[in-house]
Parts: sequence; C-alpha cells; structure tokens
Amino acid sequence: MSESKQQVSRRDFIKKMATGSAAVATTTVSSVALPAEKNKRYAMVIDTRRCVGCQACSVACKTENDVPLGETRNWVEYIEKGEFPNVRRSFLPRLCNHCEDPQCVSVCPTGATYKRKEDGIVVVDSDVCIGCKYCIQACPYGMRFINPKTGTADKCDFCLHRVEKGLVPSCVNTCQGRARIFGDLNDPQSEVSQLVATNATTVLRPEMGTGPMVFYIDADHTDERDAEKQGIYVRIDTHRRQQKRV
Amino acid sequence: MHELTWGLPVILYLFLGGLGAGAGAVSASVLLRSGGGDQAGLGFKIARCGALIAPIPVILGTGLIVLELGTFQAGNWFRFINLFKVINLSPMSIGSWVLGLFIMVSLVYAYTFLKADPHPGDDRHQLRKLSAWAMVILGVGVALYTGILLGAMPARPFWNSPILAMLFLVSALSTGVAVILLGRSVFGKHVDKEGKTTSDAYLLASSDMLLIGFEILVIFLFIMYSHLTIGSVKVAMGVILGGELTTLFWFGFVFLGLLLPILIELKYVIPTLLFQKQYEIPRSMEVLVSVLVLIGGFLLRYVVVIAGQITGSIGI
Repeated sequence: MSESKQQVSRRDFIKKMATGSAAVATTTVSSVALPAEKNKRYAMVIDTRRCVGCQACSVACKTENDVPLGETRNWVEYIEKGEFPNVRRSFLPRLCNHCEDPQCVSVCPTGATYKRKEDGIVVVDSDVCIGCKYCIQACPYGMRFINPKTGTADKCDFCLHRVEKGLVPSCVNTCQGRARIFGDLNDPQSEVSQLVATNATTVLRPEMGTGPMVFYIDADHTDERDAEKQGIYVRIDTHRRQQKRV
Repeated sequence: MHELTWGLPVILYLFLGGLGAGAGAVSASVLLRSGGGDQAGLGFKIARCGALIAPIPVILGTGLIVLELGTFQAGNWFRFINLFKVINLSPMSIGSWVLGLFIMVSLVYAYTFLKADPHPGDDRHQLRKLSAWAMVILGVGVALYTGILLGAMPARPFWNSPILAMLFLVSALSTGVAVILLGRSVFGKHVDKEGKTTSDAYLLASSDMLLIGFEILVIFLFIMYSHLTIGSVKVAMGVILGGELTTLFWFGFVFLGLLLPILIELKYVIPTLLFQKQYEIPRSMEVLVSVLVLIGGFLLRYVVVIAGQITGSIGI
C-alpha cells in the first residue's frame, strides 16, 4: 500500500514541480509575488462515537515509535458511568494536542521542543533536550515523559516521519472504526476541516488557553468530581502507568 | 495522584540555592551599608561571614539538580551544557544564566575575603566592592527566579501564583540571614564569659525578625487569595488546608519555621528596638532561632514542590 502511495506522491511531486515552475515563470513575467506555499496546520478529529476502545492505536503507536515499556505516547481511556440500565460507556483516545500555544514550548530552556512553523507539529529534538522535566510539569495534559533510553523528553509527534512522506500517523492508519481523522485545517477541503465545520467539537481543558489541535466529537468530559456532583457512579481507566488522569 | 517528577534533589536545590543567594545578597548589602564598604567594623565582619558561606550551598544545590536531569541519569553527563548555548524567555533559561553568573561572582566575592586579615582598603578591596554590587542584584535574582520557575505554569495551579516568587525571595533572604547568624554563633569569637553574645548580632536578628514578619504576610496573602478563588486553585490549595500536607505546612513550616523563631526574636529584640537597651541573647537561643528558620525554609520548599505536583487542573 505504501508502495502505491509513494508512486502517487512521486507523480504528485512531478505535477507540483511543473506547476511551481509555471508559477515562477508567471511571477517573472507579471512581477506579482505569488504567496509561498501556505503553511499547514495539522489537526486531528477524534469521533468518539466511532471508537470501540480496541487500543489498536495505542499498540500501533508503540510499535511505530518504539515507545519504551511502561510509557505511552497515545492511549485510550475508558469511561464507565451510571447504574444499570441507565449507563454509558465511552472511550477517550488521548495524544499530544499539538497546541496552538504550547506551554511545554514556552518553558523549554534549551529550545529543544518547538512548534514547527511549516505544519504546527510540536516536536522534541532529543539531541538538544537535557531532560530537565520542566515541560512535563508544564503540560496540562500529562502527555510527556522521560524516555528511559535517552533521558530526554518524549511525546507524540503526529508520526512526523510518516507525515513528512505524505502518510497519515500510525494511529490514524490503524484505526479500524475511522474514529481518528488527520489532516490540514488550513485546507478547507480536508476532511478534518469539514468535520470541524459540521460537528459540535470540544477540546480537552480549554480553560488552559492552550488551543489544542485535537478535536473531539461527542467526547465524555465527565471526571470523578463531576460524577460526584451529579450523584452518579463513574469509573475511569486510563490504561497507562499513571492510573489516574494527570 | 500525580507522579513526583521533581523530587528531593530539586527541593534541596530550591532551598540551598535560596539560602546561598540570600546569604550572598545580605552579606553584600551589609558590606555596602557600611559606608559603601569602606568602613571597618561589624558590618565588614558580617559581610565576610556571609561571603564565605554563600557559594557553598548554591554550588551544592546546582550539583544536585544536574543529578536530577534525565540525560545525566541516562549517562549523557554533560548534556546540561546545552542550557548555556541559548538564552530564551523560559524562566529556567534566564535562571540558569543568572545562577551561573551568581556562582562566578560569589566565588570572586568570597575570594576577596579569603586572606589572612581582610580589611577595607586592602589590595582586594576594589574588587570586593565591585562584586558586592553585583552580588545584591544576582542574589535577589537567583532567589526570585526559583519562585518564578515554579510559578510559570498554568497547568500547576498550586504554583501558578504571582506571589510565590515573592514568598521564595523573602524566605531566601530570611534563611540567608539565619545561616550567617548560625555561622557567627557557632564559629564566632564574640561570645563573652557568661555565654551571651554582645550587641553585634542585633542587626541580623532584627532584620531576620522583619523578614519573617513579611514572610507571614506573604503566606497570608498566598492562602487568602486561594481561599477566595474557585476551581483548580481552590482544589489544589486543599492539600495544605485539610489535605495530606496540612500538618507539615502548618506545624512544620508556619509554627516551627515562622512563628516560633519570630516570637523568640521578638523577646530579645524588643528591649533594644523599643527601649534602646543593650542587645543580649544567649548563644543557645541564637542557634535555636537560626536552625528553626532553616528548617522552616526547607519545609516551605518541600511542601510547595510536593503540593504543586500532586495537584493539577480539575476536569478534562
């Protein structure tokens, strides 16, 4: 499959080259500066109605990124609430939100973690990171951990190595219910743009002001405190070493 | 609930860094207070004591945080050099530079006192006065940054308060004074035969009393504003207002570290402050007060660092 995709992208590439040279030619003639290729703003829409909690994304992520045992870049939380027959069980897939205003970036003392201008992906340069753990403290979503092998901060990077080759992140690729949709928000024709425009979406902890780029459809934001106020039973399984939500 | 990402090394660093920075800033300001550093006498002696102490805890604490670095633990021992390849607006970046400068200047400042008979006008005097000016600024800078470091993160509601840095600064100056008091009390030769110190510690004891007074006010504001708010901050503050760190905070820090020393100091300072009597304090009391202030300073860092990490935003 990846072979055929590569062929497609190669063809695309040649096409783009042709358009590019044509554009350059036009520019020189009319001397009107055409805007450079617009920066991408990668986002993910997670339709929790389509998630069955199979953890295929968690497994795909671990194998794709060689995430050390005991650590998780990507996981699915199970939320059970109510008493029979009035019950609901829902799933909350979690990953780095690649925030518009990432707190991890603003506290990083070495500049090892940064938001890429060209596509908005928040990455960690493990050759620069010193492992001070400041970003782990600063992330409101508990997404970061110290990779025990390198001693540097680690987290989801939207599978940058795949995305750069025109592939979707591994979790999206493997999602059998198509609950995860990945794409460019700057492209109005992309599926994520259309989903965000036509659905009621929410983000996690919006009060933090981080501007998450992971949007949820029909996510259950109930936690223990909410359930206590509502007088209902709730059980949340995070399925990670950190048993409770961070 | 949450994992302790920053453990004892960081707690000790925040305490020792504040202590040394406080001692350095206090020493330098006492020196400059004596005629811009030109007068011999008590101020010079106090300054000497503080100058010789200051670099030790700061260097020790800095060593401890290097041990806590993930890359150091993974065997990449010198990766921390990356901190000094850039400077950005991260409190840790600015703090590292200020800390590095402080260590260098404090070593120079201590060196000017490290001779057989240091006195104003000796061959290192110009360097001493020059470094003293830098010590005041850098000392306050280091003490302040340790609070800003923790306060910079909205994700940590217990820490995310503008007054936390002020609290750390006042606590650093107070522990700085206490360590100079302790040093002079233990190693000083100014004790008379009855075991009473002469009036020369009055300046330190009264400043310490004032600083503890300010610290109590800052703590009051810190807790009052959290009590007046709702949401994550209020829940986080619950850790010291009935939660698991309540006893350590109120008995350990507030009672042992603030109220007890200020009451003892009041007893000995008031006669001099109000009635201009000769200042007298038994050596044992002086040691007790300083040790209590130091314990309080450590417990403050301990409670704050732990409380900030076991609490977080509510909801998802």
